[in-house]
Amino acid sequence: MLSFRGVSKIYRSSEGAERWALKDVSFDVESGRRVSIIGRSGSGKSTLLHLAAGLDVPSRGEVLLDGRNISSLGDEERTLLRRRRLGLVFQFFHLLPHLSVIDNVALPGFIAHDAPAELAARALRLLARVGLEDRARDPVQKLSGGEMQRVAICRALLAKPALLLADEPTGNLDDANGLLILDLLLEVTREEGAALIFVTHSRELAARADAVWELHSGILAR
Amino acid sequence: MLRYFLLSLGAQFRRERALTALTVLGVALGVASVSSIQIINLNAIGAFKAGLDAISGDADLSVVGVGPAFDERLYPRVLQTAGVHAAWPLFRLPVTMAGRADYFMEVLGVDLFSPQDLPWKGARAESVAPLSTPGWTAVSPQLAQAWGWSRGSKFDVTSGSRRATLTVGGIVDFSRRSPQASRKILVMDIAQAQELFDGAGRLHEIDVQVAKGADVPQVAAALRRALGPGVSVLTPGQRQEAAEGLLSAFQLNLTALSMISLFVGLFLVFASAQASLLRRRGEFGVLRSLGATGSQLLALLLAQTAALGGLGIAIGLPLGYLGARLNMDTVSATVSNLYLLNEIETLRLTPGLFLSAVGIGLAGVLLGAALPLWEILRLQPLELLSITTLHEKLAAWARPFARAGIAVLTLTLAWYFAAGRAWAPSGFVLAVALILFLISAVPWLVRAVYGRLPLRAFDWRYSFKNLELRLQTSAPAIAAMVVAVCMLTGITFMIQSFRKTIEVWARKSIQADVYISTESWLQGRAQAGLDDALVRDLETRPEARAVDEQRYLFAQYQGHRVAVSGVRIGLPGAEARFPLVASDAKALDVFARERRGVMIGEPFARRSGVKPGGTLTLDGPEGPVALTVAGVYRDYATDWGTGVMDIDAMARAFGPGPLNNLALYLKPGVDAEAEVDRLKERYAGKPLVIRSNALLLQEVFRIFDQTFAVTRLLQAMSLTVAAFGISLTLLILARERAAETALYRSLGATRRQIFFFFLGKGFGMLLMGLALGVGGGVALALILIDAINPAYFGWTIPMSWPWRELAGQALTLTLAALAGGAYPALVASRTPAQELSRDEL
Repeated sequence: MLSFRGVSKIYRSSEGAERWALKDVSFDVESGRRVSIIGRSGSGKSTLLHLAAGLDVPSRGEVLLDGRNISSLGDEERTLLRRRRLGLVFQFFHLLPHLSVIDNVALPGFIAHDAPAELAARALRLLARVGLEDRARDPVQKLSGGEMQRVAICRALLAKPALLLADEPTGNLDDANGLLILDLLLEVTREEGAALIFVTHSRELAARADAVWELHSGILAR
Repeated sequence: MLRYFLLSLGAQFRRERALTALTVLGVALGVASVSSIQIINLNAIGAFKAGLDAISGDADLSVVGVGPAFDERLYPRVLQTAGVHAAWPLFRLPVTMAGRADYFMEVLGVDLFSPQDLPWKGARAESVAPLSTPGWTAVSPQLAQAWGWSRGSKFDVTSGSRRATLTVGGIVDFSRRSPQASRKILVMDIAQAQELFDGAGRLHEIDVQVAKGADVPQVAAALRRALGPGVSVLTPGQRQEAAEGLLSAFQLNLTALSMISLFVGLFLVFASAQASLLRRRGEFGVLRSLGATGSQLLALLLAQTAALGGLGIAIGLPLGYLGARLNMDTVSATVSNLYLLNEIETLRLTPGLFLSAVGIGLAGVLLGAALPLWEILRLQPLELLSITTLHEKLAAWARPFARAGIAVLTLTLAWYFAAGRAWAPSGFVLAVALILFLISAVPWLVRAVYGRLPLRAFDWRYSFKNLELRLQTSAPAIAAMVVAVCMLTGITFMIQSFRKTIEVWARKSIQADVYISTESWLQGRAQAGLDDALVRDLETRPEARAVDEQRYLFAQYQGHRVAVSGVRIGLPGAEARFPLVASDAKALDVFARERRGVMIGEPFARRSGVKPGGTLTLDGPEGPVALTVAGVYRDYATDWGTGVMDIDAMARAFGPGPLNNLALYLKPGVDAEAEVDRLKERYAGKPLVIRSNALLLQEVFRIFDQTFAVTRLLQAMSLTVAAFGISLTLLILARERAAETALYRSLGATRRQIFFFFLGKGFGMLLMGLALGVGGGVALALILIDAINPAYFGWTIPMSWPWRELAGQALTLTLAALAGGAYPALVASRTPAQELSRDEL
C-alpha cells in the first residue's frame, strides 16, 4: 500500500546549515494494517506523515503509494491522489468553525465536486457511526474535544481512503477520551478496510496498533 | 520602550510589507485627495487676491463700476470727498492675443506719472515714451519670455471686434509685489488705453487711499453719497468676499467630493490596522506578561500608527500637489470662463495647508486604527496569548450596527423633510447619512446574503460564504467599494442627467444658424463689443432672413452681480428659446407684445425669491431700474443671476451700449457651414469667432465636460483605492487564512481550486459592492439633483438614466477587481499544505 524506499528529508537554513529530519527511512505498510510511530518532539514524525500524504517531497529516496512513486508526481497529481486515496486526522482537529458538523465532514466531497445527495447521505452515515448524527446541524464550536475529533475522523473517511494518516490524534484530549478516540479510529478504519498510520507520544496507545515503530532523530527503528 | 518601538517598527516594515503599504496608501490617498482640492480652492481665491494686491496695492477702498465702466467725471468727485488722501484711476480691459481666443491678458490703463508709490511704479519710464509711443506697454518678464518679446516688440490684441497694436516699452516684474499675481497684465498709460479700446471718458476702477486717522467705513459711505448709483465702493476684503461668494458652491462641491476619497482611504487604514494588530496579538501578550502596562502598550501602538501616518502624509502631500498641478489648467479655465475670475497661474502652498494635511493624515490614521486598538488594549495578557479563536466582534454587532444605520438615515430624512430643507448644507447631511447607512449595512448583508448560501461544492458559493468568516477584514473592503461605487454612480447620474438637460436646453436656446462673437467674449463679456459698421454690414447679409442681436451688461441685485442679456424679443419664436419653468400670464403677454419687463433665470429666481408678476429692482450703471418679472426660464449657463429682456427696452432702462453678439437665421436652402466660411473669408483679420449652430453646441458641451473634469479625477481616485483595497484585502486574507488554505490543500484541493476560491472571494466583494453601491448611488443622485443642486445652484435637472455609462463602469470595475485579485489568489494558491499550524482556523 505505502512504501518508503531510502527516504531522507533535509532542511537547509539560510546560513546553509543542514538539518536531517528523516534519514534513509524504508518501510512497507500493507492494506488494512495499523501501524503506530512513536518518538519525541523533533524526531521527524510529522515530516514522515507529510511525505506519506504527498504534502511534501523527499530530498532523497522514493515514496510509493499503490506502487506508484508519488515523489516524482507534480503537485496537482499528488493532490488528486491524496484526495482519492488518503485521509488525514490532525491533533488539533482543524475543523472549520464557520461550517456545521455535517458540512465539515462533507468538505472533502465539496472539494471533489461529489454529487450533493450522495455526499450528504455518506456524511450522515459516518456521523451515525460515531454517534453524532443528532449534532449534524450544530456549529462545531459547540462540540467537546472528543466530539470534534470524531467529526474529524468522519471527514478523513468520507472519500473511503485506502490509507488514513493521523498526527497525534489524541494529543489534545484527556487520557480517557484519547483512548476512546483511538479505539474508534482503529475500529472504523478496520471496518472501512483502510490502512492506518498514527503518530503518538504514548507507548500505551501505540501498543494498540498492529506494529509499533520508533523514530529517533529521523531514523526509523522497527 | 523607545528601543523596542524602533525594533518593532522595523520588523513591521519587513514582515508585513503589504499591510504596511495598505495603511500608508490609505493615508496617502486620503491626504492627496483632500489637499489637492484645498490647494486648488485656496489658489483660486489666492489668484484673485493677488490680482487685487498687484493692481490696487495699498488702496483702502475701490470704486468699481456696476456696468462695469463708469464716467470718468466721477474721479474729481472722489478726490474731493472728505477723508480721501489719494486716488488713482484705472482702465481695465480683458483682451485676447490676436488670433488666440484662448489666450487672455488684461490691459491695465494707469496714470504712469502719478506721484503715488503704486504697484506698477517700475513701469514708469524716465522719458515720455509711454505717452508718445503708440501702444506703449509694460509687460512682465514671464510674458515677454513666453512670446519671445524684447523692448520694441509689437503684438496685436483684440477686445470685441476692435484690434490694437501694442509695443513692449518696458519689462517689469509685477510679481515682486504679489507672487501670485497674473503675469498677463499689460500696463499702459490710461489715456492711451482709453483711446485704443474705445473707452474715452470711461473708467473701470478708482482706487482710494484714505487719509491717516480717517475711518474707512465713513469715507466709503461718503463716497457712495457723492458718487450716486452705477458704482460700488468696496474694501479689498469685500471684493474678495464677493469673489469667494461666486466660487463658494463650486469649491464646496469639490471639497465634498474630496472628503469621499478621504472616507474610502480611511477604510483601507482600518482594514490594514485591524489585520496587523490581530496578527501581533501574541507579541502584545508577551509584552504585557513581561510587565508592560496598558498605557505603555497604548503609547507604543499610537507611536507606530502615527509613524505610518507620517509616512502616508509624506507621500500624500506631494501627490496632492501633483494632483492640483495636473488639474490646475482645467479648474482655472472653469473659474475664469464661468466665474469671470483670474486664472490660476501658479500654485502656492501655505503653512496652513501643510498643517491641515498633517492633521487630516494623523486624524485619519488614528481614526482608522481606533477600533482595532481599543480591542487589543481591552484584552488581558492571557487572552492575548491564548490560542483560542478571537471572537468575531463585528459578526455579533452586525445586526445592531445595521439597525443604527437605518435609524440614522430615517431620522435624517425626517429632519430634512420637516425642517432641514431650508438649510443649504442639509443635502450634504443627507448624503453623509446615506453613506453611513450603506456602510453599516455591509456586515449584516454579508451575513444575511452570503452567510445563508447553501453549500454544495467548493465553488463560488463557498467563496462568497467564506467572506462571512472574516467580517472584520472583508467588510471594510466591501464598504470602501460600496462608497466608491455609490459616489461614482451618483455623480454619473448627476452629470449625465445634467448633460442631457443641457443638451435639450441648448438645442432649444441655440436656434439660429450662425453665431458671431468675438475672441475676447469669454472674458470680456459686456466689454467685448462689436463695432457699429460691422454690425450694419452683418445685418444686411443677403443670406439671412433675420438677425438677432445680443447685448450683455452687468447689474447688481442686493450687492450680487447679475448678468442681463438684451435680445430681439420680437423675432418669431424668440420666447421658445427660453424654456419657462414659471410665468405670469399677464406679465408674459406684456413682455411678448410690448417688450417690457424681464425674464429671469431659475437660479436667480431661487436666490432672490422674486416670483413672476413681481417687481425686480436692479442697480444699473445709471441707477436703479425696476422691471416686472414675466417669467422664470431654465438657465444652466451659470449658477448666479441672469436675466433677459428686449434689447431696445434694455437701452431705455440701462442706457445705450455696444452689441456683443449676433445670430443669423439663414434663408431656406442656405448652408450654415458654407455661410460660416464666407463670413470668415469676408472678415479675415477681424477678431471674430464665427460658428455654426452645430459648432456652438459642441463648444457648449466642451465647456460642460471641462467643468466636470476634476470630478472625474476624484471618482477615478476613489475607484482605484477601492479596487486596490479589494486586492490588498485578499492578500491579507491569504495570509490570515493560510492555515485554512493549507487544510483545503491537505484535503485534496488543487492550486487551481484555491486560486479560483480566492478570486471568487474578490468577486463576492465586488458584487456586493456593486449591488449596494449602485442602489446607494441612485439615492445619492436624487440627493445631488433634488437637494444639493437646488440649494447651491438653483437648477432644475430631470433625472436621466445613464445605463450605458453605468454598465461600462461596472464592467471596468469588474475587470479591475478581477485583475487586482489575481495576484493575491496566486499567492494563496501557493500556500504549502504544511502551513497547518497550531493556530486555530
